[in-house]
Parts: sequence; structure tokens; C-alpha cells
Amino acid sequence: MSENIKIVENATCTFCGCVCDDMHLHVDVEEKKIVKAKNACILGRAWFSEHTIEENAPAAMIDGKEVSIEDAIEEAAQTLVNAKFPITYGLSDTTCEAQRQAVAITDIIRGNIDTTTSVCHGPTGLAFQGVGESTSTLGEVKNRADLVIYWGGNPAESHPRHFGRYAVTPKGMFIPGGKKDRTVVLVDVRKTKSAPVADIFIQPKPGKDFEILWALRALVKGKTISADIEEETGVSLEVLQDLTEKMKNCRFGVLFFGMGLTMTRGRHFNSGALLALATDLNEFTHFVAKPVRGHGNVTGADNVVSWQTGYPFGVNFSRGFPRFNPGEFTTVDTLSNGHADAALIIASDPGSNFPKRAIEHLKSIPIVVLDTKQTDTSKDAHVAFRTSTYGINTSGTVYRMDDVPITLRPAFESPFPDDEKILTGIRKRVHELMLARHSANGAIGEAKVAAPL
Amino acid sequence: MPLHLKLHTTPEVPLEAECICPDRMRGLSIDDINRLIVFHGNREMHLADFFECSGNNDGDIRVAGDLVNVKHVGSTMSFGLITIEGDIGVHAGAAMSGGKILIEGNASDWLAPEMLGGEIEVRGNAGHLVGSGYRGSTVGMQGGEIFIHGNVKNETGHCMRRGLIVVGGTSGDFTGVNMLAGTIIVIGEMGTRTGAGMKRGSIISLTKTSILPTFSLACNYSPVFIKQYLHYLLKKGYDIDSKIINGHFERWCGDAVELNRGEVLLYAD
Repeated sequence: MSENIKIVENATCTFCGCVCDDMHLHVDVEEKKIVKAKNACILGRAWFSEHTIEENAPAAMIDGKEVSIEDAIEEAAQTLVNAKFPITYGLSDTTCEAQRQAVAITDIIRGNIDTTTSVCHGPTGLAFQGVGESTSTLGEVKNRADLVIYWGGNPAESHPRHFGRYAVTPKGMFIPGGKKDRTVVLVDVRKTKSAPVADIFIQPKPGKDFEILWALRALVKGKTISADIEEETGVSLEVLQDLTEKMKNCRFGVLFFGMGLTMTRGRHFNSGALLALATDLNEFTHFVAKPVRGHGNVTGADNVVSWQTGYPFGVNFSRGFPRFNPGEFTTVDTLSNGHADAALIIASDPGSNFPKRAIEHLKSIPIVVLDTKQTDTSKDAHVAFRTSTYGINTSGTVYRMDDVPITLRPAFESPFPDDEKILTGIRKRVHELMLARHSANGAIGEAKVAAPL
Repeated sequence: MPLHLKLHTTPEVPLEAECICPDRMRGLSIDDINRLIVFHGNREMHLADFFECSGNNDGDIRVAGDLVNVKHVGSTMSFGLITIEGDIGVHAGAAMSGGKILIEGNASDWLAPEMLGGEIEVRGNAGHLVGSGYRGSTVGMQGGEIFIHGNVKNETGHCMRRGLIVVGGTSGDFTGVNMLAGTIIVIGEMGTRTGAGMKRGSIISLTKTSILPTFSLACNYSPVFIKQYLHYLLKKGYDIDSKIINGHFERWCGDAVELNRGEVLLYAD
């Protein structure tokens, strides 16, 4: 370790959706390495300390051969413009500024844009549209919530600071005793490492979340539920009645839910049932529901795609206007059904975690990849860009899981360009190519101005 | 002689062909029909680039070839007949208000979403969301009849308001979810969570199924209207045992978290 240490105060960790912005980073400027990350959780420490720069790695490659960034941008633009059903996917581990460029590219090339939301909290996005959302910031939860329910998640291992920074132990304005003033409930099919934190642990049978949520809704509305529910769900009527009373009588309740709810049988109806339960409870007290999001800026991806297209994910532009249809325009479906004929993958690795059929099709089409490291997807890429890491090397904006935007403070510079710069280059080039194509077809207006191209 | 459309070039990417519809072809010559616009992914092309067109344009259309990648056939149709000689892609018969679509093979997802009237018959299976509303819509099918002789997947009749859906085989989960009114008849087995969130309407099953805790058993009876329906289905080519036609049904009322005015009727004998 050199003596040239730089301190970056109030830096932001972009590992998970908590986006903790109270990091104190000790950066070895010569070695280009973060040697200490004060306030970080175990995941955040690994995120910062294991970040290294591979100086000798090529910044851009075409079919595995090193090329200039300009040549790679030209090839990427040509690939995307020539496709009939190009897809854009990923986006949850990059800045909002880069996400904006990705939406613009997809709009120009009349492609299909989707984010990793579709394989995690996509069902929640559907439920928001169908049911609505009673929501709040994590600051409100910290200062007001006296009943905290976690459903289908294990924050002790997936979001270690969620308990300590936002929802369980912190002392708030109206919760002076911290954990002592709160009741914590965990609903999960397994007794995870989060269970010891909970005052009440409820363990339903796998795949019975919907039935339990539906029964809770009925109990909240004063309807009768048969004691047979224990046989069906593994949870007794007495436990449900007790939880109902606690929910109705708290001052501020919050339901946090994870993929144990959204990605099990019932999916968007599970999320919808939970959101509807929170809405029902507002007849008695103040109750909110929040999804616990995974990737650092997956919430930003939802926000950016929503305010640019009107829909959060699974959006298609092939007719020149945005259309939303999860199941048809989500990436697993466009790949598994063999529809996509080119792919722009940004900060994601579907080649390692998608279903086999989707991966097989992905490998059969030209792929343009932007990633900070080599991945299974980038190994098969036609055009691959190596980019800098957001939050560590790159500034920009990300959204915390409660839709609060946070500005990044980078620790040190990277020799590689950031996603926004590459995507801006591709966006400009595809715009020129599309205008030229329209001009060649006798277009008027803006296309005519671009005629010399 | 009907108008024959034969697929001569298989689309590489999805082909959106809502122009295959009697309403859009009304009064057009064969040349005009050949020039109708289809979308091959993001490219605007002509119908003739994919289909060979022949016969008389009299409102009777027969479509042949591998059509699993062809979407929106018969969307918004209001009269005439479309016969699909094989399988068909998503959104067939979307928002149709009249006429008939006969699918001799299988139908994909979103068969007749937000249908207003007319008839669809599927000799094979259908996918998810038959007669449903689109995402974000609070109202699905509002009229007409859908007859499926095979199986269907999840969310059949999602938020349907009126009309009839008949499934000869099995149905997936959430049959009749958020249903507002109308009738769904499933001859085979149903998945779980039938009628979740339903306000009114009838879901009839000729086999036992699991019932949500928010439904309550009202009675065991032999309603005349079910006999009428089952006789109608016999005429439509469904195979139904006469003892079922005259049998008893359990009437489950629900969904209690909504109006509690819907019913799930399960064959009880």
C-alpha cells in the first residue's frame, strides 16, 4: 500500500438497492485500489475492495479482436440499425444518464427495451399498474414505522444494512427506542438468517403466499375465514388473526417484500395481493408497501424507462411508439421465442443466468455488450466494450429502492470510458444512419436535413 | 370461393398482420390486398411479401402456413369468417366485435383479448390470458363466445365483463381472476386460485378443484341454466356425460374480499 491515500467522504455503494451514501473510502491513488470502506456492510466491503482495473484489457473488441472505440461504435451502430427486432437489455447496474441514452437508442432503432426488473420485481411492476402502490421513503420508515413486516426476503444476507440503517434498529423521530419501539415480523418459507431479528416468524408452506395474503385481506375487512386454512397454508387462523390485529392497530406499518413473493407461483398476483392488503389497511391506520430491490440502480432503470416511455420495462418501439406487454416484449420471451435478431446488453450477463433456450438464441445473434469485466455474454459478443464502474470510477445519478435519487461520488478514475459515453456515441451514430435511411427513401423534414449523410 | 392467403415466406421475426381481417379487406381488389401493410419487426412491408393471395374477397378468408410468428390476425374484425389452417400467433381476434375465427390448430397467448362480440373456435389448445384484458386494463372480454376444445394456460377470462368462454380440456391458475361478470365453463381440471378477486360472474367446472379461503359454500343444487349451457355445448361438439348434465353442483360464493357476488360451481356427484 502506498502512502498516497485519498479519502472520499459520503461516497455511495451501488452494490444493492439500499444505495448507502455514507461510505468513507480510503483510496490508494497509485495502486488504484480502495483499501478501506468504512460503514460498508460485508457485501459493500467486497464490492469496493475487490474492484480492480485491468489496465491491459482492450477497451473495445470486434469478434474478439481489439479495435478502436470509434470503430467499435460504428460496428455496433450498424449492427443495431440493420436488425429487424433489436433488443436492449440490462441497465440496472449503470447510471440514469446511461439509461437515458439506451432508451433513446432503442427508440431510434425501433427496438425493444427491457431491464433486469423483468426477472426480479417485474411482477411488482405489473401489480403497481393493476392495484396501485401505497408508498413512502425509507426515511419515513426509519422515523415512523412501528410495525415492520418482511415477506419473502432475507435482508440479513441480501441487504445487510436494511435492518440497521432504515427499518429495524435505527432510532427515529417518532421511534426513539429504535428496535424496542418496533415489532418486526418475518414471513418466509425457510428460517433464514433474518429470522433472529424478527419478533414474530411465520413460516407458510411453499407457494401459499397468495392464499395467506388473501385470507389476511378478508380478515382485515372483517370477513370470516375457516380454520381449515392451517391445513392449506401451514399457518393457523390464530396467527393470522393476531397479525391482522397488529397491522390494524399499529401507528405506521410497512410491508417489505422480496423475490420469495414475486418469483413464486402467482407472481404478479402475489405482489398485487400484498399491495392490496396495504391499501386495505389504510382504512384503519397508515400502511405502506415497498419492494426490496436488488441491483444498485434497478429502481433508476424503472424510473428512467417509465418517464421516457410511459412503462417500466418490457417496452417495444417497433411500430414507432411505445407498447408494453410483459410476456411478449420481456427479454426472456423475445429470446426464448427466437424473435430477437440483435441484442444490446448493458451491464448485465444474461448469457450466464437466463433459461437455456434464451441463451442458445442469444448466442446465435449479434450481441453488443457494455460491461466492466469479461462475462459469459461478452465472450460471445460481436462488439464488446469494457467500461468503467459506476459509483467507483464514474459519477452520475442512481435511485435508491424507495425512488430517492442519489448522486455518486467516484473514488478514482478508470482508463476505460463510462457507459454513458459509449452509448451516447452509439446513439448519435444510429441517429445519423436512420436519418440517412429515411432520406434515401424520400423522407422529408428532419430526414431531408440529413440528406448529405 | 373464399380468399386464400398462403404463407410463402416464413417471417424471421414477428410479423404483425392486423390487415388480415375482413373489415380491412372489404372492397379491395387482389392487387390492393397484396399492397396492404404488415410490420416485419420494425420494417413496414406488404402482405404480398409474405403471403400469396388468391380467390374472391367475399369476407371469407382462409389462411395457411406456419403462422406461429404472425400476430394480431383478425384484430378488431366485425364480420365475416377467418379460418386458420394450423397454429396462430399472439393477439388473434383482439377486440373483435363480430364474425367468426376458426383456428384448426393451436392458439398462442392473448387469444381474443378485450373481445366485444363474435365467436372464436379453437380445435387445439390456447395459451395464457384467453379473453382477458391487456395489462393495465380493468375490463377484459365484454361479449362474444370463445370455444376451446383443448387446454388453456393461466388467467383465462382475466377481468372479463360479459360473454362465454368454454374450455374442453384443463385450465391453468387464476381462471376468472378479477372477473366482473360473464361465464367460464371448464370441462377438465382447473388450476389453483380460481375466481380470485371476482366480483360477479359464474365459473363452472365439471371436476373438483381447490377453492380459495375467501369463498364459502352456499348450497348443493342442480341449476337449470347449467343444463341449458351443457346442452348447448353438446351441439358445439363437446363430449359431456348425460349424468353430469342432470347432476348436482356445489355453489361457492365469492370472492369475499370483493363484492362476494360471484360463484364457482363445481360438479358434486
